[in-house]
Amino acid sequence: MTSNSAKRIKTLELQAAKMRRNVVDICMQRGGYAGQGVALSDVGACIYFDEMRPDENGWYHDRFVNSNGHDTIINFAAMAELGIYTMEELRTMGADGSPIDQSPIEGARGFEITSGSLGTGVSQAAGIALGERKKGSDKRVFCLLSDGELHEGSVWEAFMFAAHYKLSNFIIIIDNNDLGATGKTSEVMAVEPIKEKMEAFGFHARQVNGNAIPEILDAFEEARSVKGKPFAMIADTKIFAGIGVYQDAIPFAHFVGANGRWDTGYLEWEPGWKEILGTIERLEAELAALDRGQT
Amino acid sequence: MSPVPYENSCHRKSARHMLLTKEERQRVPSAFDDISFDLCRRRDDVIMMSADLSHYVDLFKVTKELPDQFVEVGMAEQNLVGVAAGLAKAGFVPITSTFGSYASRRCFDQMVICMGTSKNTGICIGFTPGISSPAPIHHQGTEDLGMLRAVPNATVIDPMDVTDFAQALDVACETPGLVYMRGHRGTTPKMLDPETFKFELGKTYPLRTGSGVGVISCGHASQWAVEASDILVDQCVDHSLLHVPTIKPVNEQEVIDYCFAHDQIVTIENHQISTGLGGLVSEIVCKVGRGPRITRIGVPDSWAPGGSIRHIRQHFGLDGPALAKLIVEVMQ
Repeated sequence: MTSNSAKRIKTLELQAAKMRRNVVDICMQRGGYAGQGVALSDVGACIYFDEMRPDENGWYHDRFVNSNGHDTIINFAAMAELGIYTMEELRTMGADGSPIDQSPIEGARGFEITSGSLGTGVSQAAGIALGERKKGSDKRVFCLLSDGELHEGSVWEAFMFAAHYKLSNFIIIIDNNDLGATGKTSEVMAVEPIKEKMEAFGFHARQVNGNAIPEILDAFEEARSVKGKPFAMIADTKIFAGIGVYQDAIPFAHFVGANGRWDTGYLEWEPGWKEILGTIERLEAELAALDRGQT
Repeated sequence: MSPVPYENSCHRKSARHMLLTKEERQRVPSAFDDISFDLCRRRDDVIMMSADLSHYVDLFKVTKELPDQFVEVGMAEQNLVGVAAGLAKAGFVPITSTFGSYASRRCFDQMVICMGTSKNTGICIGFTPGISSPAPIHHQGTEDLGMLRAVPNATVIDPMDVTDFAQALDVACETPGLVYMRGHRGTTPKMLDPETFKFELGKTYPLRTGSGVGVISCGHASQWAVEASDILVDQCVDHSLLHVPTIKPVNEQEVIDYCFAHDQIVTIENHQISTGLGGLVSEIVCKVGRGPRITRIGVPDSWAPGGSIRHIRQHFGLDGPALAKLIVEVMQ
């Protein structure tokens, strides 16, 4: 199966850890969608730092549409590592007058669409994929959406469309975190079995542990070989995955408020912040050891 | 574009001869088929789109002869506009077509979010707008102009005939962001002279000049206003006509100048009398204050019946004779 070298995986684990650190850093200021961002950092690292092909202008040849505004904190977290945003800018998120929106508007650096109205991004991403193919371009279009977003009927219209037009340059990633706005997706309105539904809608679908980088890379590799069909990666993620001390801090974390407070619980930021800094230190040491081993 | 006198001796005052005489006017079958085909042949970046209604909006030739410039999405209006916005982000100029009722009601969020917040051109055409659909309520979008003109930076156009429909669509293709246009399907009148009428965004067009009552109209209602005006000309009743194809952004100074040159204003629209053209004119005149009385004519905050447009117009007093009578009454 795999061309996933230990160094490649370790490098991405380190990038994901830095993204987690950035997510926590931003959310510690005025709150935010911290649980989702931390959970999605592995997928985000694989998209930004491995799967999308860079172009000669310092950006990407491929295109990434984040349909789920709540998850856009991972775009910011990744772009901080790319130098597109500074952490100083990003720490203003949620402040009056800040140029950084929690759900950015089209035209914001690095964002293809206005993503705050759930369900509207998938059609646009499919339209971009069709347009790129019409132009004869080999660009691939990655679209991130969430399990809760599957409640929106418009995404199923878009799925039908993508399969009908055989958009093999169209790759959706469903952030399957079982979290909606007011409770577990499975309890608010069940969406499973997602994989079978995607297959029934004409996608080549694969379910992965969205917090296991080798599995994510394998799925992307599989997506590249699929012909005549769009690809769906159902990435099972766990809220706050990768930061152990946050795991049981709050049972339900759609939005963690300022000072860690929210109506359903309380999260103490500091222990998690220390943990993620420790994780980064460990991964850097492990990567350095791998480098030494290779030389 | 030299001013010429009207055909009727009662109207010595002249206007630019944009309005064809009764004898010169024509009825053009399947007008949009030619308009869309001509546009797509001139511009290979334009993509016509349909939500399984292509045959019902006269979209034939593009689908058969320029299939690369046609995208079908099935009965899915949200996806129609979303995919269109995506095509725009890939460098194309998408033009979605469906009925005005669906365009405004079923995918308003997509128009606002996917197209309205973008700098890329995205054009949505709502066909059989207002009471021009024979099927009651569900097919009659009589509030679309009000909805769309409330969207920041949106462009909203309600053309009256094949001439300004075709010209406005050309301009729309060069206009950034969301452009909502009302469309004409089937046999469509040609009332404006393409030699002398030149569509400009925001511009208002005096079709007949005179004093007394000033009649302001847009879209299908401009056809109705001309019908009423023809009767008034025959009756030697002094009045004037202003066609306002751009609902947003309209040249407000032109509207002010026109309104304050009359004692009485009548607005006629194929739309609810709230939020549409009458609302727009009232808002503009209110900004100045002490303006003329404005009588708003259209669909009066009620559901329209189904049936032929002749029947529905008569139901609301929007047929030519009823409108002519009303204009005379307003003057008195």
